[in-house]
This record gives sequence, C-alpha cells and structure tokens, in this order.
Amino acid sequence: MQTVRVHVPYDHTHTRRIGLWLFFISEGFLFLALISSRYYLFGLSRPEELNQALGLLITTILLLSSLTAYRAETSILHGDQGMFLRNTLATILLGSLFLVGVALEWAEAFRFFPPHTRFGTIFFTLTGMHGFHVLSGVVLLVFLYFHGRRGRFGVTNTWPVEGVIKYWHFVDVVWVFIYPTLYLVSS
Amino acid sequence: MGRHYLKAAILWILLTAIGEFLALRIPLFPTAAAEEARIIDSSFILLMILGIPVFTFVLAVLIYTLSTFRSREEAPEDGPPVHGRPAVALLWITITAGLAIYVIFNPGLKGLAELRANQRADLVVRVEGSRWFWKVTYPEYGITAREIVLPVHRRVRFEVTSVDVVHSFWVPAFRVKIDAVPGIVTRVFVTPTQTGTFQEDYHFRLQCAELCGLGHSMMTAPVTVLEQGEFDAWVGKAKP
Amino acid sequence: MAFAPILRGLVWGALGFLLGGGGAVLVRLLLGLPAFQPEPLITIGYFPGLLGWLLGVGAWDVWAREWFGLPVRREAVYDWRRYFRFTTDHKVIGVQYLVTFVVLFLLAGFFAMLMRIELMAPGPTIMSAGLYNHIMSMHGIIMIAVAVAAIIGGLGNFAVPLLIGAEDMAFPRINALSYWLIPPVAVLLVSTFFAGGFDSGWTAYPPLSEVNAPGQVLFNLAVITFGFSSILGALNFLATILRLRAPGMTWRRLPIFVWSIFAASFISLTATQFLAAGLLMILLDREAGMTFFNAARGGAPLLYQHIFWFYSHPAVYIMILPAFGLALEILPHFSRKPLYAYPWLVAGFFGIVFLSFIVWAHHLFTSGMPDYLHGPFMATTELISIPTGLVFLSALGTIWMGRLRLKTPMLFALGFLFNFLIGGVTGIFNADVPTDLHLQDTYFVVGHFHFTIMGGMIFALFAGIYYWFPKITGRMYNETLGKLHFWWMFLTFNTTFIPMFWLGLFGMNRRIFDYPPALGSVNRFISISAFLLGSSFVVFVSNMVLSWARGPQAAANPWQARTLEWQVPSPPPVHNFPAPPQVVGHPYDYGFTNSVHALVGVSGGSGEQGVDTDG
Ligand code: HEA
Ligand code: HEA
Ligand code: CUA
Ligand SMILES: [Cu+2]
Repeated sequence: MQTVRVHVPYDHTHTRRIGLWLFFISEGFLFLALISSRYYLFGLSRPEELNQALGLLITTILLLSSLTAYRAETSILHGDQGMFLRNTLATILLGSLFLVGVALEWAEAFRFFPPHTRFGTIFFTLTGMHGFHVLSGVVLLVFLYFHGRRGRFGVTNTWPVEGVIKYWHFVDVVWVFIYPTLYLVSS
Repeated sequence: MGRHYLKAAILWILLTAIGEFLALRIPLFPTAAAEEARIIDSSFILLMILGIPVFTFVLAVLIYTLSTFRSREEAPEDGPPVHGRPAVALLWITITAGLAIYVIFNPGLKGLAELRANQRADLVVRVEGSRWFWKVTYPEYGITAREIVLPVHRRVRFEVTSVDVVHSFWVPAFRVKIDAVPGIVTRVFVTPTQTGTFQEDYHFRLQCAELCGLGHSMMTAPVTVLEQGEFDAWVGKAKP
Repeated sequence: MAFAPILRGLVWGALGFLLGGGGAVLVRLLLGLPAFQPEPLITIGYFPGLLGWLLGVGAWDVWAREWFGLPVRREAVYDWRRYFRFTTDHKVIGVQYLVTFVVLFLLAGFFAMLMRIELMAPGPTIMSAGLYNHIMSMHGIIMIAVAVAAIIGGLGNFAVPLLIGAEDMAFPRINALSYWLIPPVAVLLVSTFFAGGFDSGWTAYPPLSEVNAPGQVLFNLAVITFGFSSILGALNFLATILRLRAPGMTWRRLPIFVWSIFAASFISLTATQFLAAGLLMILLDREAGMTFFNAARGGAPLLYQHIFWFYSHPAVYIMILPAFGLALEILPHFSRKPLYAYPWLVAGFFGIVFLSFIVWAHHLFTSGMPDYLHGPFMATTELISIPTGLVFLSALGTIWMGRLRLKTPMLFALGFLFNFLIGGVTGIFNADVPTDLHLQDTYFVVGHFHFTIMGGMIFALFAGIYYWFPKITGRMYNETLGKLHFWWMFLTFNTTFIPMFWLGLFGMNRRIFDYPPALGSVNRFISISAFLLGSSFVVFVSNMVLSWARGPQAAANPWQARTLEWQVPSPPPVHNFPAPPQVVGHPYDYGFTNSVHALVGVSGGSGEQGVDTDG
C-alpha cells in the first residue's frame, strides 16, 4: 500500500472549537428529550426512597472533578507538564469515583424502583445515559494522560486537551440539570 | 410592461373563476350524516374557496411567464436587473399573513368552538378497540355489541379506549375521528342527522384509522342510524 | 483489490458483533439470567459491530491510528476505486451519497409498485396483510431517508464547498464517517425481511412497535444510526459554512443553496436527537422491560408521539429547505435574472426553521391529547405558510420578465413549484383542526405528503442532478431524454396522486391493504398511473448511465452561470481551486453590465495552503 501525506488545512483549532460546541448543542437536545419525558410522565412528584445523601455526594464529586479538569487545562496552557498530569489523574479518579457512586445508587434503586416500574424507567435511563457519557469522558482522559506522559502536549499543541476537558465540563453541566430533575423537584 | 401585469391579472381572474366554479360544482364529500359533518364540510369548503385564488395566482404567473418570457435560442441575452423592492415583499407578507390569520380564526377556531360548544349528551356509547375488533357497550342499557346503532337527532358521546395498541375511531359519514389509546379514555361527540346503514352506504362504518398490525384494514364495524322508534325496538331486542 | 477495505470492514464488523454479543452472553450468565435472548443480544452486539465496520472500512487507517500515536495511512486512489474507499474528498463523498440514495430511491419505488399492485383491486391480490404492512413500512422509511439525505448528503456535499470557494469540508474525516454509516442502515433495513419484518409504518408508534416481530429492533437500530449520520453531516455543514467561506464571500453574497443547507442543518443538528431518544426508549421498553410507553404498567403511549413528531415535523423542513434552495439556485441562472427578494427569502428560511420547532402537535389532533393544545398548534402551523410564501414570491419574481431557458433542470425546478404548491395548500387543510378530524390518517394526507416530498423534494433533487451532472461527471447528459423524463414523470405523478385527495375524502384510510369495493376503480386508475410513473425512471437511469459512460465532453460552464463551481473545470480538480477565489459581487447579478461574482485562479500560490479564514 502506498502511503501519502495529505495536508488537511482546515482542521484549525477555531474550526474544531465550533464543531465541538455544535456537538454539545446536539447532545443537549438528547438530554432535553429524556429530561422532559420525566416531567411528562411524573409532573413534579418524586418517590421518597431516593438516597439523598448519596445523590448529593456524587454530585459534589463530579463538580470537584470539573475543578481538577480546569486546572489540568490551564497548566498545559502554561506548559506545566507535571501539574497537568497530576490533575488529569485526579480527574480520572474523581470520574471513576462518580461511576462507583452511580453503581451503588443502581444497586439500591433495584430494590426500591427497579427498571420495570415507572420511576425506575426514568431513573435508570437518565443516570445510565449520563453515566455512559462520563465513562467515555474517563476513557478520553486516560488517552490524554498517556499521551501527556509522552510529552505530546505543550503550549503549541493544546487542542486535544482543550477538547476533552470541554467535553468533561459539558458532561458535568448536564448532571447539573439531571440531579435536580431526579432528586430535588417536588410539588 | 404594464400590459404584462394586466394580461396576467386577467388570466388569474379567469383561472380563479373556473376553479371556484368547479370546486363548488364537483361533489366533494360523501354522505354527511351528522351535525359535526356539516361543520367540518363547511370548513373544508371555506378553505377551498380561499385556497383556489392562491393556487391560481401562482399558476397564472407560471403559465404567463412560460408562454411569454422565453429566451430566444439564436440570441441569448440577460433579463432586466431587478432585485425586488422591499415594498413588494412587505405587501406580499401582509397579504399572506392576513390570509393565514383569517384561516386560523375562521374556519379554524370558529369550527373548533362549534364542535365543542355543547358538552351535553343524550346517550353514552363506550367503544373499546382491541386487535382486531371493536367492542361497543351501551352502559345505560347494559348492551354489548359488535356494531354501533344510534338514534337519529340525539347527541351521542363516544368514550373510546383500547386494551392493547393504539387504534382509531373513525366513521366517515360523521367525519370525526379520535384515537383509542390504551390507558386513557378519549371522547368525541356526534349528533346523527340522517338515518342509514352500512349495507346501503359504506360510509356508515366504524373504521380503525390507526395502524395496529395485521388486521388493521379489516378492523371495521357497521354503523346504523335509526329513527327513535326503531332504535328503541333494537334496544329491546338487544337487551340481555 | 478494489473492495479490500469493504471486506475488511465486514470482517471487523462481524468480530465486533461477536465480541459485543459474546460479552453480553457472559455477563448474563454471570448474573444468572437466561443467556440467549436474541433481541438484547442483537442490540448489544450491534454497536461494537458498527464500530468495527467503520474502523475496518478505513477509519482506523486515516483516523484512529492517530489516537494511539501511530502515523495515519492514506491511499492515493484517483480512479473509480475511490468510490469504494473511506475517502475524504467532498466531491467523492457527494457522489457516494448520491448514487447510494438514488439506488435506495429506486428500491423504495419498487416497493411502492408492489403496493400499488396489491391495491389494484379490493381484497387480497398478491400479498398477505402482514407482508403489505412490512412493504409499506419499508417504502415509507427508505423514502424518508432518501428525502432527508439525498440532497444534503449528495448534492450538498458536492456543491457547498465549491459554491463557497473552499477546498473541502471543515471536517473531511467526519464527512467520510457520516457516509460510511449509511451502508449499515441499508443492510439492517433489508435484513428485516429475515427477522419477521416490522409492521408499524415509518412512525413506529408504540405499543404496536413494542409487541411486534424482532424486525422492529433492526428498524430502530437502523434509524438511530441514520440519525447519527445526519447529525454529523449537519455539524460539518454548519462548521464549513461558518468558517470556510472564501475571502469576500459575505453572508449577503452566499448562494441560496448554501443558505438552505445552513438552515436545514440547524434542524438536523438538534431535532434528530429526539428521534434517537424516542427509538431508544422503545428498545429499552422491549428489551430491558422498562415502561415508557407501556400503558398497562403506567407508561404513556402519547409521550412517544410527542417525542417522535418533535423530530419528524422539523424533519419535513430538513427535506424541503434544501429543495427550496436548489430550485431557487437554478431559477436565476436559467431566467438570466437576479434572485428576487434575496434577503427576504433568507429571512423566510429562518422563519421556517424557527416555526418548525413549535408545530409538531398538528400530527396529534386526533390522538387524544388535551383539547387546549389544539388551537395553539393549529395557529403556529398555519403561520408557516407566511415564510414559505416568501419562497414563492422569490421564485415568481425571478422568472417574471426573465429570459427563460427551458433546459431540463429548469423544467424540474418549475415542476417543483407547481407540485409543492398543491402539497403546501393541502397542508392547510390538514392543519385546520376541524377538517383534520376527518382527513387525518386518510389518503388525503398521503396525497399531501407525496406532493410535498415526491413532487417537491424529489423533483428538486432531479433538477439538481441534471443541473450538476456535467460538473460531477465531466460529461453532458442527453437533453432530449432529460425533457422526456420530465414530462413523463410530471404528468404521471399528477395523475397518480391527485385522485388520492378524493379517496381520502371518500373514506379510504391509510396503511390498509384492503378497502371498500366502491373505491376499486379509482384505485385501479391510480395504480396504472403509478406504473407509468415508475417506468419514467427507466428513461432517467438510462440517460444517466449512457451519458456518464459515453456522453459528449462537458464544457466548464455549460449554463453560462456565475457561481463559483462553474468557474473551474468539469469535473473539478482534487483541490477545487488553484488558489482561494476572491469574491467581489453577488452571485446572481445577471443583466448588470460589468458585474462580477468572483475572481478565480488569479493569484498564485498552492491550494495546499487552504483558505485563511482566521482574519
Ligand atoms: C417535505 C415534506 C413536507 C412539507 C414541506 C410539509 C408542509 C406542510 N405540512 Fe405536511 N406532512 C408531511 C410532509 C410535509 N409537509 C408528511 C410526510 C406528513 C405525514 C406524516 C405521516 O403521518 O406519515 C405530513 C402531514 C401533515 C399534517 C398531519 C396530517 C395528519 O396526519 O392529520 C399536517 C397538519 O397540519 C401537515 C401540515 C403541513 C403544512 C401546513 C405545511 C406547510 O409547510 C405548507 C406551507 C406551504 C404553502 C401554504 C404553499 C405556499 C404558500 C403560499 C403560496 C403563500 C400563500 C398561502 C397561504 C397564506 C395559505 N402536514
Ligand atoms: C421521498 C418520499 C416518497 C416518495 C418519492 C414516494 C413515492 C411513491 N409512493 Fe410513497 N410514501 C412515502 C414517501 C414517499 N413515497 C411515505 C413516507 C409513506 C408513508 C408510509 C407509512 O405510512 O408509514 C408513503 C406511503 C405511500 C402509500 C400509502 C400506503 C398506505 O398507506 O397503505 C402509497 C400508496 O399508493 C404510496 C405510493 C407511492 C408511489 C406510487 C410512489 C412513486 O412515486 C414511486 C415511483 C416509482 C419508482 C421510483 C420505481 C422505479 C423503479 C423501477 C420500476 C425499477 C425497480 C428497480 C430496482 C428494484 C432497482 N406511498
Ligand atoms: Cu385497529 Cu387499526
Ligand atoms: Cu408536520
């Protein structure tokens, strides 16, 4: 097979950034569909059995992870590799912790409102869809970490870092809407 | 220049006259056997009357342009350089908006108000769809049947539901349709104004109008509208 | 080997499927659940399978290797084999889309022929009720896919970068990805024949779609994949049009076809997620025992209808906006006049985009939704005729007093105006609640949407195919055959679908394979017209095939048009323009002396530099 190098002139950071934001808008509509289904089916009512403590805990964890993600991004902008790696690792850990929290939540939910009940349907779908996004975010962060260890990012090559971290913030923001939808609203 | 506008306008008026004449002459509707059918048919006719000039306007411009403004193959040239004046666009928007808004109120909201004006009913009939037949019950008389029998000139409330998938209650002669949705009861009012039977006129039939699988097209039931006396006799016979 | 990448895609896809499915079996065994349940297995295996297919067919070589720090591999293929590759050239991708969707159109049209044979006479004719429902559903969904993607994916990909003076799309690899997602869609839909079919129409309303044959699962997976492809495509078009316009290509100089793709992409990007969500919820209900739409356990069947139409109503404008753009792109060139009321038209497009999101419940007037919603949704629906009316103002203003050249593309564009007008005006009858109570789910609606989609979108598609044929292939089609195709198709189209309005009023509902005997003669007339309509495509296909193989060489600019794509050779070179074109005027200013749209190929430099749009 003959290999040629083709210069792809358009993949400039600015264009990619626009692409990423468009992707967020699109994904936002997916969550909009699921979240509005919850209100359609239940209005503002919510079951008593929800584990409020656990819900608050994992929300805090996820919000913290946005902070470390932010620090990872700024450190690469300043060329601080060590800081970058430490904060990326912290974000990965916090993200995984969040997923463990969701798993605990699921184990409990199976007892009170399993997937074949009305609330279970919404609960498992929303947390599952969001958890899938968190998981893919963690995978991307792991990629970032290993490339970072090889020193692939620097002040001149920040786009992969920026893209993944923006995605991470997006997933976080989505949870900011899902959390009250599942745990807080009440009539 | 002005000549073109004049000729096209005459063409438009001509086409509109022909169109309206045909629309009002051609029989557009099957048997209308209910008060609701009258309201719905007159909405339809009003929309026809308003829609035809819109249609013929575009048609007239198309026909006139095609017959007049052809390019000559031998000496191709460009047309006049006009971008269009805002005044024309504004006028166009005003006219179409006027039409649209008029249609929203009349026949739209007015027809809707007429159909819903009266929530009272002389007779309640429950209709339950399941794959692939209709079960009709008359709670007042304790009758269960596979057909709908109604007295003429009495306002009927149909309470429609389904036990499995979505079906739809539709009687072409009455013009009304409402889905039979599992889990909820939907309502529709009908006041028959004319007697008739399915045997004489296939528009007197209850037809499932929402895809429900294999037997969807066969999911029908006969509808009969009787004089009050005949209806009472039917009730007497059908009572368990 | 020409088909090596495709074979590799199939192998990797199969591996992915086995891996995913096998993993699912293992997990189920560990959890002590019954291991083999075909439906969840297919669903879970499908996504790794899809990934395997994409990687195998080329995404691994030109893309994913990068993520693992490996150098990407690109093949330099410039002959016919490039049409079977994961290439990133927008012109190749455009042709891939176009050919794929024309073939799918013929296939779905063939299904329509089968339906019309069945409907020739009341009672069973050639097939069972079950098969009819399946064929009808296949016809519906494939045609909808054609309508959504043929213009945007095919002609949009080919023409948009050329029209705006760019070298390629903003994300060429995503572009390739969105095309290579299409073959699995087609394969899944066709394989429903081996999975019991699906009989729930293209709308897939639950609970029916939760209790029918496993073919439904394949349908859902196919449509979710298709939605994914259109979202990626829309994202790409938006980024391209925002970022890659040539210097001087200001918003006021953008060709109207580009505007229409821009507007339609907004809808694709957002609303499509609702379709994916709705179909996913059906899968969850079927396979994970959830209860979104299962009334017996507290779900709400109407919820699906809201979600579905929140996408599928805007979707009809995804279909028709590019069609508007295409017709209006062609009219000025063949009338030799500027596009009339251009800024108003653009405003009209965005008026349609905005309104399209708030009218969805006009499909639910008879669904049993609360009464207070009827009035508002009727009102918003009727308002759409105002921005749509601007399209007609612009079209009529453009041809009026023009110097019309009635070539085949022009004929199709004019035919589009006539047909869509009938479709649009009959839409008003559906939008009015009182009349819709009778018309909903009857052949009146079938007539309405064939006039808008077939008479509108498909006519515009053919206008565009004939218009750009010389540019795409470098050869000229046969004008006589083109005109023959137009008149044949136009007349038989109208005789096929006009009687359907009458049928609907006289009590024939949709999606039935048997009907009251009194309607037999009209149905026979429709069927015969439909066969004649179907045969008109023989003229089309032979014209395309023969001309592509042996047609006379086409000039660079056979239509003497001003827009950019005609200023480069036919077919355009790989990098489109020798140097970024300099846009200096409006694209449609015919009749103005000394007016120029763009300067192409004047400055030196290599196309490799691309267009610097960062300024
Ligand atoms: C390309 C596709 C397309 C387009 C563009 C449209 C355009 C419109 N459609 Fe259509 N429609 C479909 C495809 C389309 N539709 C499909 C596929 C279905 C069936 C789905 C299914 O159930 O399977 C459907 C069904 C459908 C329904 C539901 C019917 C039912 O099931 O009961 C309704 C109801 O309101 C409706 C209305 C309209 C309206 C008001 C427009 C308007 O946009 C039309 C506007 C255009 C004009 C009005 C003409 C031009 C305007 C002028 C010349 C200006 C002056 C005119 C006036 C002021 C009136 N459509
Ligand atoms: C792009 C959209 C599109 C197009 C172009 C068409 C084209 C046609 N449609 Fe379609 N139709 C739909 C979209 C479309 N349809 C949709 C969305 C539905 C609703 C489905 C549902 O209810 O869920 C529908 C439903 C529908 C029905 C109602 C079915 C029912 O409710 O029971 C009917 C009935 O006559 C029909 C007929 C036709 C005909 C005769 C054509 C003709 O124009 C077709 C022309 C013929 C051809 C294009 C074939 C030419 C080729 C050959 C003869 C050779 C064969 C070659 C090969 C196999 C390679 N269609
Ligand atoms: Cu019941 Cu269709
Ligand atoms: Cu609609």
